[in-house]
Amino acid sequence: MKYHVFTRISAGDDLMHVGTLRADSDRLARIYAHRTYDEEDWDFIGVVREENLIEVENQPIAGGRRP
Amino acid sequence: MSDDGWPEAAVDYVQAIADTKLLLGQRYGEWMLKGPNLEDDISGASNAQDEIGQVRQLFRLLKRQGVDDEWLESERDPEEYANAATLDSEAEAWPTFIVQAALTDRAAWLLLDAIDHDDFTGMVQKMGEDEYFHLEHHDGRLETLAADQPEAIEAALKEYVPQIMAFIGPATHDAESDPLAAAGFTDRPTAEIRRALFDHYATLFEGTDVSVPRLDDSVPDPEAWDATRRRVGDGHVDADVVDQLQGVSNREYVIA
Repeated sequence: MKYHVFTRISAGDDLMHVGTLRADSDRLARIYAHRTYDEEDWDFIGVVREENLIEVENQPIAGGRRP
Repeated sequence: MSDDGWPEAAVDYVQAIADTKLLLGQRYGEWMLKGPNLEDDISGASNAQDEIGQVRQLFRLLKRQGVDDEWLESERDPEEYANAATLDSEAEAWPTFIVQAALTDRAAWLLLDAIDHDDFTGMVQKMGEDEYFHLEHHDGRLETLAADQPEAIEAALKEYVPQIMAFIGPATHDAESDPLAAAGFTDRPTAEIRRALFDHYATLFEGTDVSVPRLDDSVPDPEAWDATRRRVGDGHVDADVVDQLQGVSNREYVIA
């Protein structure tokens, strides 16, 4: 599974997308993220499965007319 | 325990933990470019660094107890290393390596965490922060491998469990008879550490096709157990591994 890694340096900052990784489980994804993106003393580091990202799509808005 | 002096058996106990971590560093290093994916390689490399860093701290304490500096670092024969027997040889396959590293790293941590002495306070807490990520990585990997390759995991457990129980110590070392617990150097007798290790893996593999070998109180045989090298028998790492540990081939470049 593909995961996206998000971090912030200081409490209150917005989360930054710092990269991706592949893991067979959420448990492994946590460890891989810590080991792979350990270049800062992060206030927060988290992972999100790519399948859980909600795509924001352009949808044609209905005109309100009934067919 | 607040007195600076260590009981006699404690030097051997810490030496065995330190040598096991030294060999763990070596085995992690051998596998850090052979894992199934880049993330495992990076984790393995980090684990190797952690272990070698911990060895430096443990060697420092051993030197303060009178252990010879040169002997520790560069003048030992293979049979003088007190590493867990699980690490005598490089694992031949990834599932085998994960079982080898998982059992050994967890056992070494349990032995270290049992020490109740001022020399280790703070240092062991920092080591525990490292170890959390090692042990979580192993368990995460064991969970996936138990589903994908249960036979390989079970075979490796069968090979390594008796050796890791010998490293922890005989079941006869209970609350009354464990010499280091009785001396106050540790706060958890060997028999309890054996049970803790067994219970951890019995729980981890519950509901999978992997059976953990039963906790056998006759292994190791207390009469045959070598308390200095925490094993049965005279096995040891290969001489070429010791050459690598001691930096023999690059000794001419050592900064004086």
